[in-house]
Amino acid sequence: MEQDSPVDIQRSLPFLAAFIILFMLVLFTRLWFLQVVKGDYYYDLAENNRIRPVKIRPPRGIIYDRYGRPIVENVLAFDISIVPEDTPDMAATIRKLTSLLKVDAGSIRTALDDAAETRTKYEPVKIQEEAPWEKVAIVEAHQDELPGVIVEPEHRRHYPYGGLGSHQLGYIGKVTQTQRKQDQADLSLLIGQGGIEKTFDKFLRGASGRRMIQVNAAGAKVKDLGIEDPKPGMDLYLTIDLDAQRAAEEALGDRAGAVVAMDPNSGEVLTLVSHPNFDPNLFPRGISPKDWVRLANDPSHPLYNRAIQSVYPPGSTFKVIVSLAGLDTGVIKLDDKVTCAGSIKSGKHTFRCWKREGHGTLSFHRGLVESCDVYFYTIGERIGFDRIARYAQNLGLGTVTGIKLPDEKPGFIPTPAWKQDRLHEPWYTGDTYINSIGQGSLQVSPIQACQLIGAVANGGVIYRPNLILQTRNRETGTVKQTSPERKGRVTIDPAALEELRKALIGVVSEPGGTGHGAQTPIATVAGKTGTAQVIAQKDTHKKLSGATQDHAWFIAYAPVENPRIAVAVLVEHGGHGGGAAAPIARRVIEEYMKNVGSKMVH
Amino acid sequence: MSDQRWFTNIPWGIVGIVAVIALIGLTAVYSATYTSRGPSSLYYKQLVWIAVGLIMMVLVLIADYHTVSRYAYVLYAVLIVLLLLVMVMGKTGMGAQRWLAIGAFAFQPSELMKLALTLALARYFAQNQKGNGYLLTDMGVPVTMILIPLVLVLRQPDLGTALMLLLSSSLIILLAGLRVRAVLIVLIIGATLISSMFLIPPVKKKIWGSLKPYQQNRIRAFLDPSSDPLGSGYHANQSKIAVGSGQITGKGFRRGTQSQMAFLPERHTDFIFAVIAEEHGLIGAGFMIFLYLALLLTGIDTAKNAKDRVGALMAGGIVAMLSMSVFINIGMSVGVMPVVGVPLPLVSYGGTSIITTFLAIGLLLNIQMRRFVLFY
Repeated sequence: MEQDSPVDIQRSLPFLAAFIILFMLVLFTRLWFLQVVKGDYYYDLAENNRIRPVKIRPPRGIIYDRYGRPIVENVLAFDISIVPEDTPDMAATIRKLTSLLKVDAGSIRTALDDAAETRTKYEPVKIQEEAPWEKVAIVEAHQDELPGVIVEPEHRRHYPYGGLGSHQLGYIGKVTQTQRKQDQADLSLLIGQGGIEKTFDKFLRGASGRRMIQVNAAGAKVKDLGIEDPKPGMDLYLTIDLDAQRAAEEALGDRAGAVVAMDPNSGEVLTLVSHPNFDPNLFPRGISPKDWVRLANDPSHPLYNRAIQSVYPPGSTFKVIVSLAGLDTGVIKLDDKVTCAGSIKSGKHTFRCWKREGHGTLSFHRGLVESCDVYFYTIGERIGFDRIARYAQNLGLGTVTGIKLPDEKPGFIPTPAWKQDRLHEPWYTGDTYINSIGQGSLQVSPIQACQLIGAVANGGVIYRPNLILQTRNRETGTVKQTSPERKGRVTIDPAALEELRKALIGVVSEPGGTGHGAQTPIATVAGKTGTAQVIAQKDTHKKLSGATQDHAWFIAYAPVENPRIAVAVLVEHGGHGGGAAAPIARRVIEEYMKNVGSKMVH
Repeated sequence: MSDQRWFTNIPWGIVGIVAVIALIGLTAVYSATYTSRGPSSLYYKQLVWIAVGLIMMVLVLIADYHTVSRYAYVLYAVLIVLLLLVMVMGKTGMGAQRWLAIGAFAFQPSELMKLALTLALARYFAQNQKGNGYLLTDMGVPVTMILIPLVLVLRQPDLGTALMLLLSSSLIILLAGLRVRAVLIVLIIGATLISSMFLIPPVKKKIWGSLKPYQQNRIRAFLDPSSDPLGSGYHANQSKIAVGSGQITGKGFRRGTQSQMAFLPERHTDFIFAVIAEEHGLIGAGFMIFLYLALLLTGIDTAKNAKDRVGALMAGGIVAMLSMSVFINIGMSVGVMPVVGVPLPLVSYGGTSIITTFLAIGLLLNIQMRRFVLFY
């Protein structure tokens, strides 16, 4: 019992009690001082101390091309806004605004009503965006008569080249409901809604700052109290060469189609064109309903990124894969001859060569140079389509390339097993025939075609297409380089590759080659034309034009000795690849090779 | 003893005080978090926390406090493990890692650690009695027991809870009976250390540098709040304006301009007292202080009536813990303490804090009810 006696502890309890009482007295005295002695002072402070945090939106990151030329910028603009909580008499303020600024009272009310749903307290409502400086001056001069009306400086997104590269650059717009839930984006910010603006939004966005302003009891601004600077977004240096991009856009002109160029040694995307394009400048302030309807309902689908979202039969460009498969497996012997009489029969069906009168007897080299269909029907049958499909898959067809742009399509490589499973039909020799010349069920996007010819150029490496050369933190100046990302490597017999390259050079430069349009004095070009049929072969006796005309393909790389650029061109309904697509590739190659080795200008 | 006796032995005074404090707190949270679309979900959550807290309080009543005390070390060890877990995988909020996510709920082990440390120290001193007071050399184990959680909490970093742990466990050591000479030695060493911290530049630099920027700013702002009224001093200034502008009678429920217009930051948690002071004036705020005083003095009474050492130490320790929370929190709202995150017991929004406080009150009731040796 003695051991457990609490007596000694209980002796010190009065001290604890005294300490508590003393401290409570201190707190109460302090309360008395604040609330009674200085109560009026603090009451006035609370009444007049109307400090408003005004959000300062961050400037979005600037986007440059690979040589440091700006392709997406910000332009400073001034918006006139109204803070309803600071506007004691809204009707009077609106009257004053209409007379001073000559704006429509109805539009102000509509803006206020629209904003009422989502805005937080004291968040300004924009009533005139990009106000001319005279109006800004009027508002500043009449602050006393316009309580709650403020001028907000804004960084407006500007695309100086209009539609140039619009599909890769993308556009910005208001935060959507789902985006708000997903990443709690700041509702008042415009964020990327397409292209690089969307996929790299986290880099470009930055973070808001705030300005503290003191307003009087009537809501008019008394003074600025301080600024917490916004964090600007990161600048992006794209892999794009502005000159090559522009050359490709001009060469494609009004025709619908796509041009993709990449550095075969790294996967850096040098140009990425999809036509028709759109003007991203329409979006940043909220696109007008009229413009939106026009864009969305346009039968030529200008919002669609054909370079990565459209898939087409590869046509004769697929012969590159059949050739690789044939040479690498040893099925194609260099001096084996095939005789083309203009067509070949399988069962009841006749399969024609594009050259009605036939190519006569030819071996692999001339077979590819002249793109003889009968030669590839025969070779395709000897290799077997299963093996061809495997080479196609290993070279990246049938799966997305992984380029960091929204909604890429994987395309399709048919196989006998697929046909049995899905269509419950056997794979006929005829299927091998038509797929061996790139028709049938094959579907390839322009960027896949570019990746494929790039792999031929670099000896079999598949790179993930890369859009970003480096990022730069504008505050610290820190630059971060990206590095090439290898997706896979196909081992191909170097001798086979060499034979294929010789034939591809022949396509462009030998007599009878189909790709002469790509010849250029500045570099040796290796390439392959393709013509993707839009409608079935049996109807080809009709005169084709417009929407029923074939799609033109051309894939190429240059210079052969030291490849720097791989290009894929697709012209929708362009007719023959050699005529419509090859000259576009030439323009891009020439333009890009001019700049190679140039330094970046900061 | 019959059920009747058990019921009448419940110290209704404490229960009444606790209920009034919790109710006032709930209305303050309601007001502070009210949105334009009606009461906020935080208010309903707080309601649930209080209900859960009440149930925990009753559960603690059932077991004898000696039983609770027997598990004190286990509880302490479990919480040390949880604090380590927070360090490894905790949720970050406000620049510090304090929470453990359990399903949809965030659990803050450092809050419960305050109670666990109190119980562990009470058990240690009850078991290791010294007739003429403790010497400094007897302090090895208890000081280690304090330092481990203290360091872990500082690493989060949570200055407020660290300060709480240090002050309330110091009070417990004093209560347990440190010899006068030992107290003097500690005071002299402490004073020397603290002054050297400020006077010897390299030491000062080292300690100052180890603080997070926001902590440095808060300390700077405490020393001179007007230096930066929009940055670090913002909290302190806005809170003082809220309290002062409430004057004698207050601006009325949900009519505090500071609280309602969102000038006052953290108004449902750390600065909830400022909301009460602004909306209910000196009358409301003074009443709150009176209620806390009554609660703490009843707690001291419980310690005085405790039938044994462990009961007295537990009750005294709980009073020390609660009083430190109240002092630091209210002191911070009225500008006599630096701005550190310490919740106001039973009032500030937050599940772990509410439940911890109810558990502590439950233990006080437990000791009070079993105060007669007869019952043993």
